[in-house]
Amino acid sequence: MDFNEIEQTEGLRLAWNAWPSSRLEATRLVVPFGVMCTPLHPLEGLHLLPYDPLLCKGCRAVLNPYCRVDYQAKIWVCPFCYQRNHFPASYHEISDRNMPAELFSQCSTVEYAVTQPSTTGLTSPSSIYNQSPGLGGAPGSGVPGQAGGPGFLFVLDTCMGAEDLQALKSAISQILGLMPETALVGLVSYGSMVHVHELGYPDCPKAYVFRGDKEISSQQVQEQLGLTGKTNQKGVAVGTGRGGRGRFMLPLSECEFTLTTALEELQPSSDPVQAGHRTRRATGAALAVAVGLMEGTMPNEGARIMSFVSGPATVGPGQIVETDLAKSIRTHQDLVNDRAPLFKKACKFYSQLSQRLVANCHVLDIFACSLDQVGTAEAKVAVESTGGLMVLAETFDSDQFRKSLQKLFSRDEDGNLKMCFNGSLEVITTREIKVCGAIGPCATLNKKSVSVSDTELGIGGTSAWKLCSLTNKTAVAVYFEVVNQHSNPIPNGTFFFIQFVTQYQHGSGQVRLRVTTTARRWVDSAQIQELAAGFDQEAAAALMARLAVYKTENEEVFDILRWLDRMLIRVAAKFGDYQKEDASSFRFSSNFSLYPQFMFHLRRSQFLQVFNNTPDETAFFRLMLNQEGVVGSLIMIQPTLFSYSFDGPPVPVLLDVSSITPDRILLFDSYFYIVVHYGSTIAQWRKLRYQDDPSHENFKKLLEAPVGDAEALLEERIPLPKLIVCDQHGSQARFLLAKLNPSVTHNSNQYGSGEVIFTDDVSLQVFVDHLQRLAVQGS
Amino acid sequence: VPLPGSMDAGVDPGLLPRPLNDMEPVPSSWAANCHPRYLRLTCNSMPNSHSLVSRWHLPLGAVVHPLAEAPPGEEVPVVNFGATSIVRCRRCRTYINAYVTFTDGGRRWRCNVCVLLNEVPVEYFCPLDANGKRKDADERPELSQGSIEFVAPTEYMVRPPMPPVYFFLIDVSASAIRTGMLQIACETIKASLDKLPGYPRTQIGFITFDSTLHFYNLKSSLTQPQMMVVAELDDPFLPMPDDLLVNLSESRAVVEALLDSLPSMFQNNLNIESALGPALKAAFMVMSQLGGKLLVFQSTLPSLGAGRLKLRGDDPRLYGTDKEFTLRVTEEQFYKQMAADFSKYQIGVNIYAFADKYTDLASLGTLPKYTGGQIIHYPGFQPDFHGQKFSYELGRDLSRETAWEAVMRIRCGKGIRFSTFHGHFMLRSSDLLALPAVDCDKAFAMQLTLEDTLLTSQTVYFQVAVLYTSSSGERRIRVHTMAAPVTADLGEMYRSADVGAIASLMSRLAIEKSLSSKLEDSRQAGQARLVKSLREYKTLFAVQHRTSGRLIYPESLKLLPLYVLAINKSLALRGGFNEVQADERSAAAFEMMIMPVSRLLKYLYPSLYRIEDYLYQTAKSKADPVELPAALPLTAERLDPRGAYLYNDGLRFVLWVGKVLSLDFVGLLYGSEAAQASDSSKAFVAEHDNDLSRRFIAVLNKLREKNTALHQDCLLVRQGEQPRESILLLQNLVEDRTVQPFGYVDWMIQIYRSVQQT
Ligand SMILES: [Zn+2]
Ligand SMILES: [Zn+2]
Repeated sequence: MDFNEIEQTEGLRLAWNAWPSSRLEATRLVVPFGVMCTPLHPLEGLHLLPYDPLLCKGCRAVLNPYCRVDYQAKIWVCPFCYQRNHFPASYHEISDRNMPAELFSQCSTVEYAVTQPSTTGLTSPSSIYNQSPGLGGAPGSGVPGQAGGPGFLFVLDTCMGAEDLQALKSAISQILGLMPETALVGLVSYGSMVHVHELGYPDCPKAYVFRGDKEISSQQVQEQLGLTGKTNQKGVAVGTGRGGRGRFMLPLSECEFTLTTALEELQPSSDPVQAGHRTRRATGAALAVAVGLMEGTMPNEGARIMSFVSGPATVGPGQIVETDLAKSIRTHQDLVNDRAPLFKKACKFYSQLSQRLVANCHVLDIFACSLDQVGTAEAKVAVESTGGLMVLAETFDSDQFRKSLQKLFSRDEDGNLKMCFNGSLEVITTREIKVCGAIGPCATLNKKSVSVSDTELGIGGTSAWKLCSLTNKTAVAVYFEVVNQHSNPIPNGTFFFIQFVTQYQHGSGQVRLRVTTTARRWVDSAQIQELAAGFDQEAAAALMARLAVYKTENEEVFDILRWLDRMLIRVAAKFGDYQKEDASSFRFSSNFSLYPQFMFHLRRSQFLQVFNNTPDETAFFRLMLNQEGVVGSLIMIQPTLFSYSFDGPPVPVLLDVSSITPDRILLFDSYFYIVVHYGSTIAQWRKLRYQDDPSHENFKKLLEAPVGDAEALLEERIPLPKLIVCDQHGSQARFLLAKLNPSVTHNSNQYGSGEVIFTDDVSLQVFVDHLQRLAVQGS
Repeated sequence: VPLPGSMDAGVDPGLLPRPLNDMEPVPSSWAANCHPRYLRLTCNSMPNSHSLVSRWHLPLGAVVHPLAEAPPGEEVPVVNFGATSIVRCRRCRTYINAYVTFTDGGRRWRCNVCVLLNEVPVEYFCPLDANGKRKDADERPELSQGSIEFVAPTEYMVRPPMPPVYFFLIDVSASAIRTGMLQIACETIKASLDKLPGYPRTQIGFITFDSTLHFYNLKSSLTQPQMMVVAELDDPFLPMPDDLLVNLSESRAVVEALLDSLPSMFQNNLNIESALGPALKAAFMVMSQLGGKLLVFQSTLPSLGAGRLKLRGDDPRLYGTDKEFTLRVTEEQFYKQMAADFSKYQIGVNIYAFADKYTDLASLGTLPKYTGGQIIHYPGFQPDFHGQKFSYELGRDLSRETAWEAVMRIRCGKGIRFSTFHGHFMLRSSDLLALPAVDCDKAFAMQLTLEDTLLTSQTVYFQVAVLYTSSSGERRIRVHTMAAPVTADLGEMYRSADVGAIASLMSRLAIEKSLSSKLEDSRQAGQARLVKSLREYKTLFAVQHRTSGRLIYPESLKLLPLYVLAINKSLALRGGFNEVQADERSAAAFEMMIMPVSRLLKYLYPSLYRIEDYLYQTAKSKADPVELPAALPLTAERLDPRGAYLYNDGLRFVLWVGKVLSLDFVGLLYGSEAAQASDSSKAFVAEHDNDLSRRFIAVLNKLREKNTALHQDCLLVRQGEQPRESILLLQNLVEDRTVQPFGYVDWMIQIYRSVQQT
């Protein structure tokens, strides 16, 4: 099976493509029944249907090609709950020769442009679901007569040098040019205090100021800004009656000048800094105020709160370190040893903030450009649960920051923003399957449907999740379990179904509903070959990675490496081909063969190994993993390495130190870093500038090829990876060496091609040897 | 033949004494005494014993007007000792003055206050002439004049001299905007920027407020001000550490831009709340580094945050009860605390009040009361009618001579001391008055006590010293010295009584008593005091003059009964609930507590001139309109329906026009529209293109020149136009029975009878 190809039609990657029909057998497969779902995966020939979907009146699943249809009686039978449904009048011309698109078998995925979203809405109502007009409203439908959107609220830290601030201002000015004119924009700036700029005020620059060192509730924010009805009566809202719209959030076309002026006039914070102290930076309060402003101004409308942070939060809610420089910023060691007194409090603050963001469909982005940590470890929950973007760079002047920011505002071929808002993902399953949970940039919608399992993996207890923001790359891992009892046999080869229903606000402003109905076969547990053939080791690795990270973050004192090892040994023992007690006889079929090395690299990855990384960096890496699809996840886990030489086209080479040779250029991609590494000979030629000599045209081309490929990689990722161009033995080469398999270390005796890695890590070979030995032992 | 200063019980009212001519105080015959414009004793002979004091009955004390404006040529000379320290008595710290005596060939000097012999510093030495007088005495103002100003060296500073600081706290709530004061305030401030003293050090800042506080970043590099709103009222804070108070010369353009745009910024404000308390706290935070003058423009009853006030002043149930006085003091600890903080940090507060409704000036006034400031009240403010007045008074506030971070002390010779002080200040120690920003329009009163049973000296010396920072940034000490003879003779005391100073002290005591008792009790107290003193005088002189059946009083005090009557009939003390609105009463009381003697006397017994003939006759004259017809007794009997009368109480003019007088007269002075209108309240005096009008305006301006502390409007009222006629004029004719049971005649009979009852 080519799982990649299936992904191109469904946007789904299942760890298992054939499932054992009994619960008991299912648990023995070790790797969970998960699906890497990319709800808005770009699909060839996707139909956009200009009408509303037909819903099963029993389970509210959407009409799909797997429904049995009686054209005579104009009835369709739901494959999930077997409910018989009559076609409505609009389908009266339906016949086997005149089928609507959604019934075509090749249309297992269709998209509806929803016209009457709220009432015909999805499946059975749940409370949160209903509160969200976004689920069934044109943009801004919650507030009749108010067009415009989406919203972008800039939250700028001003505790930085004039140059860095200037770079930040110009970066923001640039993206104003990339935004739709109808976008609503607003500005908050902060140092030790928080300034909410009233861009709609005509007479002079005006800002509402909040203290940064105190918790401030949404109600207080809204009252103080004059957004609440109560204060409106008192006339606080300057009598406009417009609330925050028109005052703090305005269409770009109306306020571009004011905004640009306000930005220009922002000065580096003038708060006096005591000697021996850090700047007083109230990031938490600024975000709380920003969230409060958005709650009062654009509730349930797609909007991003884009925060730009230049250093650690040192005062007020979300504080991660005291201003006293004698106190250092928490490390992983501190977290493990419970020596980070501010950490839990800050996490709790951001967790509450994230609930408010989710409830209002607002997204939090953090652009942290600082040499210090800023507190993304604490704030991650709010970014992740809203599908926000996190960028870590060193300065606001860096390409990494500027280009990442710009790419966020890239447009599709129709000129619409590629970012989508206000999404929800719902899963409907065949009775024998239940959904355990999801892991990804989403939050629970608390939908307790019949499909919900008692077992929780990730964000569980629901069959629907909210995605405040998503792109066509956003991937959610959804985990299932088989609940069919052994006593209830299902004929081998029978289909089961899962339907993924994604409603979202398209970049055009249109509300759309994408429905993917997927079918897979039940397999009798005896048919282990058939089960094994359906194993997608790449998807499995990605699903395991998310699960491992989730467990690390959410389960107390969890030895994740031992768990991964045990799981892997059990997979090897079950699906390996070997003679008992004979390690040398161990063989894996091709669709399992890479799985051990994925696990090997996952164990050593920055997702699970925090040594050498700060909590902020770890948070960033994990956040990225949790939204990336299978292909990207694998690169993160096991970087790719290509060799460019005169011998022919670039070829993948082993991620091993032995791949480094003097006459090769290596292109290394770990997703976060891209390294172009010149072997020593190549490097020397390059220094001698052979590439400028017309007679060495080929050398020139050889030099250009990996750089071009690297740039192509940069192009497709947000945030931008860090690009490192280095020579063999150069100091920058450490970025490459750190990721290579230490087949040759200072501990081993094979001083081969001259490259040695100073590490005590076990090599892949040693790891695999151990695995085989343990797998064949039986249990 | 009646003796001067005596009267029969059934006397002719026409013979009663009246202050119909302006009485300028007569400078003392002792040349080294300071001019009485600065210091007036209630009695220019000091009693030498307790028994004498107890028979005097009237207040024994002084009224000090330390920064009084002097006519050109009479300014207080400035003396700079340079590096040499100012010469003062080692023991009692008296400043060297014209009354000290030099001995030992000029090497030592004897302190006139405590008689200690002090060494003359080498740098200050000068030989004596044959009479024992220093040879340089006439060249040295401090040795020849009663008033002097020393430039103080650094030892008189606890910090570098502060720059003049003007901070504006402006109510911009809906009702404030409705009054129209904002436009005028902004225009006036803008026009005054060049007149603010202390260029180029002067600092300026602004906060506006309604239910929120609005700060303005005035950083000089900005092209326009940045407005910052703080809505946190429970715990207000400054939105930025600097640039809320800026150097005017550096930030001039931004300040002007702000003043230009403030009126339009709030012209549509619908917010009716007033967070004055939090705004005061915020202003305090901005100003506390430097101190300075805080000008508050308030139009609404403070409704939010600390210092929120209740509508209580219009509660008639309290009047006449023992709780009545509570309406005349604040119930809010906040204002007292705030006033204490302001004073401590050298901030003086002036309150401009514009509301037509109750705003509890009794509470708000606490701030100026303890910080040396004042309340300027414009009830029912209307730009067309009061704009000129407001603009003048604000302009004067911003340009008048002001002493910054000042303290005042009055020293006197051994055996006596000043025990109580009355006016607007904070008493920092037993005799040190803290005056954060005091100006030339404020006077203070104080009472004396004898400490020793018997004074042995022949002369008692008084020395007022105000240590302050001048607007130019110099630390200075203004010193007024006065000597008075000691007497053992009560008659001498009566002869040397200063009725103006006595009236001033009595009015202040009466007002203070009204803050802890019923109005009636306060009025009674003044009356009782008057009666006792007259009775004492009678006992003293009755036998001698064989006038047992008559009321006799000393010539010096002949006006005292009239003034006591006028005090009792003043806005601050008259009547009960119905007569005067609570805020007007408070405003009047605060004003009387700071008035210099001359202004108070004018206020107690205003001038009334018949003016129509005078105007017609002199209309063509180009000469200065000095010679007005003689002032008339203040009684309605004198109002001739064929005439027009000008009334002047030092706060305003009222032009009363009789019914029979031709309408043309009004038309010429107030315009034909005013002449036709039945309601004169819309009539606004301005120069019209006719001789009569020009003359009239000239007359008014001439009178205004004599009273620069404020701007006197000229209100028109026509005979029979009620209630306007009553409020503006008839109730203020103190000789009539309009508001009290007593007219002047009744009062004298009442006093006479009381004096007779022994
Ligand atoms: Zn169904
Ligand atoms: Zn002395």
